[in-house]
Amino acid sequence: MEAAEEKTGSMSAAQLRAEKRRRKLLLNSEDRMNRIVGFAKNEPDHSAAALRPAEPRFHLDLDRSEPWSSPSPRPSPFLSEAPGVRSHTATPERRGSPLPDFGQPRRASLEGDVGGLRHRAKAERPSDEAGGSPRPGLHQYLSRFDDAMKLRSQLANEKPEQDGGSDVEEFDPFRVFRLVGSVLLAVFVRVFVCKYLSIFAPFLTLELAYMGLSKYFPKVEKKTKTTVLTAALLLSGIPAEVISRSMDTYRRMGDVFSDLCVYFFTFIISHEILTLFGSETP
Amino acid sequence: MATGCAWFLVLGSVFLCNLMKILLPSISSFLTKMVQKDAEQESEMRTEIQQMKKEQSSISMMDEFARYARLERKINKTTDKLKTHVQSRTAQQAKMKWVVNIVFYILQAALMVSLIWKYYADPVTVVPSKWIAPVERLVAFPTGVAGCGVGITCWLVVCNKVITLGLSAIS
Repeated sequence: MEAAEEKTGSMSAAQLRAEKRRRKLLLNSEDRMNRIVGFAKNEPDHSAAALRPAEPRFHLDLDRSEPWSSPSPRPSPFLSEAPGVRSHTATPERRGSPLPDFGQPRRASLEGDVGGLRHRAKAERPSDEAGGSPRPGLHQYLSRFDDAMKLRSQLANEKPEQDGGSDVEEFDPFRVFRLVGSVLLAVFVRVFVCKYLSIFAPFLTLELAYMGLSKYFPKVEKKTKTTVLTAALLLSGIPAEVISRSMDTYRRMGDVFSDLCVYFFTFIISHEILTLFGSETP
Repeated sequence: MATGCAWFLVLGSVFLCNLMKILLPSISSFLTKMVQKDAEQESEMRTEIQQMKKEQSSISMMDEFARYARLERKINKTTDKLKTHVQSRTAQQAKMKWVVNIVFYILQAALMVSLIWKYYADPVTVVPSKWIAPVERLVAFPTGVAGCGVGITCWLVVCNKVITLGLSAIS
């Protein structure tokens, strides 16, 4: 009898505990649903999220297009999706980072993202005004902070690669062709041409010819390294397209300079060799 | 007037500097190994840990718990000691690398400055000014005499670029 009473008492205590647990779960179910459906919280972002205690209140992460409590959508400037469409899949870094580092397809998505950035920034202001969002400046700051953290992690990832092969020149077929052409032209100019005109005239002609010949060679996509400079330029608001084009122009100028150095060097060496043999022959 | 082999001397110096730059990591690791006297201790500790782990895997935790736990403690202690050792070795390596780099860059700068000092008034090689028109003044800098030939700075830049290209093509 007493055992039965104890059992009933313990069951009711267990039942009471179960009931309490059930109520607690029901109370938090809405929040849990919001968390599951509203955004996909990425695990690597937890460390970054730990640095931003105020973030859950305003702008959780770049995949989320809706905040917790605010009714109006608040998309990240680096998302290329329309407002209200949620993405659960990838971070902007994977989908289309603003960083010019992954070749043309990503560059296209990057430019699209940055175009989306501008469009979104323009659209965000009236929508914020319409939706009554209280702190657009703070949102922008937080989104830029997120981007800065991502750029920092990307720089940190790229740094070991750069340390291993810093300043290594890449030799694609066209580059090799250019250098060999410069060497041959320099020897030819030293032997036959230099008495009649300046040595730089044939070089300029050669470079013009290379510009025309470049389309006949297979294009090699060069991976643009994310350096501190590019990251700083991106964060300061300069469009990624402008940065890509500038870096492309700078690379072409570097190629021309390399050709000129090889040409001049070969010319001087041939001149010295010919002078040496000329002085030695009786 | 230009010394006969000035251009060759500058070329050789630049080649040597670039070669040393490529070999810097090997030099720093070699010097680190020379300086570190207790490198064998680390391999001994690793062997000891492996043996203890092997022994531990052969005994049953249920049957010989005390011995298992003792081995576990020994393994943990040796692992911590090894970690400390590896950390200090890594720090020493980084320090050595830093020192070697600094020394190299100072020597390189001294070499370049001395070459420029020696040949700043004389061209490294003589070519007619007609050949290198219209940039004869720029090419002859800092000799100050246009139509004299190739100045030290222009030749240094050209050699540096060409040798970098050559060495990167080889490596």
